[in-house]
Amino acid sequence: MVPVRANRSGALLGVLAAVLMVTGCTTTFERRLAEAEQLRLEAAAAGAEWLQTESLLDQARDEAAQGDTDAALVLVDKARFQAEAALRQAEFEATAWQERVIK
Amino acid sequence: MKNTAAKLLLCLVPILWQQAAIAGPEDDRKAFVEYFQSRFPDVSFAEFANGIYAIDDDARRQWQDIEEFPPYEFAIEQGETLWHEALPGGAQLADCFERPADEIRPAYPRFDADRGEVVTLAVAINDCRQTHQLSALAYDSEELISITAYLAYLARGKPVAIRVPADDPGAIAAYEEGKRFYYSKRGQLNFACSDCHVTSVGLYVRADRLSASLGHTTHFPVYRSKLGGMISLHQRFSGCVRDVRAKPFALQSKEFRNLEYFLSYMGNGLEFNGPGARK
Repeated sequence: MVPVRANRSGALLGVLAAVLMVTGCTTTFERRLAEAEQLRLEAAAAGAEWLQTESLLDQARDEAAQGDTDAALVLVDKARFQAEAALRQAEFEATAWQERVIK
Repeated sequence: MKNTAAKLLLCLVPILWQQAAIAGPEDDRKAFVEYFQSRFPDVSFAEFANGIYAIDDDARRQWQDIEEFPPYEFAIEQGETLWHEALPGGAQLADCFERPADEIRPAYPRFDADRGEVVTLAVAINDCRQTHQLSALAYDSEELISITAYLAYLARGKPVAIRVPADDPGAIAAYEEGKRFYYSKRGQLNFACSDCHVTSVGLYVRADRLSASLGHTTHFPVYRSKLGGMISLHQRFSGCVRDVRAKPFALQSKEFRNLEYFLSYMGNGLEFNGPGARK
């Protein structure tokens, strides 16, 4: 039989680990969300934002609010990819469009 | 001597720049027209005002049937009523425009040097309302689109003659911004307006053929059968931008007004034939 005292210590450690894990994940989520949001805003300022980027971030917030941080991070990464691609597109198009002008 | 030469050069720079600017939009327009006429040698210049119906015989026959009972007639009637409605103080919308009603549509879009931006007909109507203590109408509202439909109807047969004043750097810049927008790829599908309406003009996208950009602005607003209602040119812009999976700009945003300015100039010499009917 496991002593009651040892049982309590184990439970406390478990709770502590869970709290750290959750807090750590939330912090990671918030940081990555903020980075992706910043990139989206930069793409928007360049007039190059893609259609679904903002809604991906909204969906990520919803998933996080419901406690599914893994799903939320997948959505954040998709949004980040879109925002970065939009910025690269805008950078390339800054001069590339001139090649398409009918002459 | 060296100083004199430098001064002379400084004097010539604005003149040369101005000459280059004068040549810019008109050279663009001529090349634009020549491109579409070479792609569709059997289509007359004037016919491009009919959009897709200039190059798609099946769609043209359907359109001619639709025109027997034009679905945009209700919009013209509503627009006429709203146009003559008394504003607070007893004025009418017509009082804001210093020209006959049939010449109002052809006067837009125009570059307003005082405001430093392109003013479209929809913006001018809302300006007028606000001058008379009325709120601006939403740019996708039935009321505003109906008024533009009525003015488009009155202007039928008048030539498109948009001006990009060569001595106004602001107007040149707005035109160039519209041109840049038109030829720039955007969105997840990485498409420019020109990818569909220049490079791929006449090809099929699913069941529909892609129209020529020459004449794109002459017939708006249009009744769209699939939506069961009238839409503005900017709503069409918004739809195209959305179709390539880019986030659309607001209706009557600076971006769309500049695009309208560029595209309208490309259609100079064609006749206004709005409102129109499309699938």
